[in-house]
Amino acid sequence: MRRVLILGMMVVGVALLLWAGWHNLRERRLAMQQARDKQIVLIPAKPGEEGEGGFPQMRGKPAPAFSLTSLDGKEVSLADYKGRPVLVNFWATWCGPCKVEMPWFEEFRKQYAAQGFEILGLADDVDAGKDAIAKVANKAGVTYPILLTDGKVQNAYGGLDVLPMSFYIDRNGVIVEQTAGLGSKDQIEATIKKTIASGSTTQAGGQ
Amino acid sequence: MRNLLLVGLLAGSSVVQAQMGTLTTPTVKTKQYVSFAAEEQVVKAGKKSVVELRFKVGEGFHVNSHTPKSELLIPTNLTLKPAAGVTASAPEYPAGTSYSFSFDPSEKLDVYTGTFTVKVPVVAEAGAHTVDAVLRYQACDNAACYPPKSLPVQVLVNAK
Repeated sequence: MRRVLILGMMVVGVALLLWAGWHNLRERRLAMQQARDKQIVLIPAKPGEEGEGGFPQMRGKPAPAFSLTSLDGKEVSLADYKGRPVLVNFWATWCGPCKVEMPWFEEFRKQYAAQGFEILGLADDVDAGKDAIAKVANKAGVTYPILLTDGKVQNAYGGLDVLPMSFYIDRNGVIVEQTAGLGSKDQIEATIKKTIASGSTTQAGGQ
Repeated sequence: MRNLLLVGLLAGSSVVQAQMGTLTTPTVKTKQYVSFAAEEQVVKAGKKSVVELRFKVGEGFHVNSHTPKSELLIPTNLTLKPAAGVTASAPEYPAGTSYSFSFDPSEKLDVYTGTFTVKVPVVAEAGAHTVDAVLRYQACDNAACYPPKSLPVQVLVNAK
């Protein structure tokens, strides 16, 4: 009787061990999957990315210099616009909100041209091809320079994990304001006015 | 003998605990806007079956469907890597729903929001298999868009 009991216990024990092994394997696989899901954050798509929903703030900093090729093949540098208020707008052909504000930019560019205001549109999706970029820019009625990004300029401006992203640069080359996402037309105009006004007092005597 | 058994059982369970412990990774903030629900898929060995991959789009976000209405938009696309013992056919995508940005009601988009399921027809040999795949998508919220992302997923297929 005792032998039967011991034998029974052994069978139960082995069965339990087998179950534990199988359960462990299953749990490990699921845990691996979950770990892998989280792991992707360790490999950022672009260097310089920050935490969720956040992006590096560039306000108050000197605008990083760049030299890029325009859609019509010209070399355009930010330095070419030294002493002028400039709006640097990053956009992409797949970005709906970007395409909404581009005609507004065009309108404000004409409106504030007398104050030296200029806009540079930086296409963040060069892989879409020049033709697609030109098509979207033309459809939006854009005549300001559209520049093709080189992968470096995005990082210099903080990694750009949100589009549209705009940097309002005053006459002294300082970023007065940085905006992410689509704002209202009134907000955009107010920021342009602020950018034109910024640095103008220090420039007044000299120019 | 009884004591031995008990010791054996205890040792076995502590191994389980130890192995589980090493795999519990700390939660890290993610920049993804779509997540994958990892579920083991049980299919019949050697038979045509369908594996369902369930994805969830973050609240407040949308991604283009597999067939967006403009060639400029980036479609949601699943790429399966070859896996030994599993023959997978082209994924089948759900239809999207119509969506327009409030600031541009004239442009109709075709998007996924909430949860969506991609079905993959497979024939798997008996046994447990792991199929690696990548979901490429591009997300937007109501005022901004986010660069295209690649979400690596691992599909566990158990063919019996």
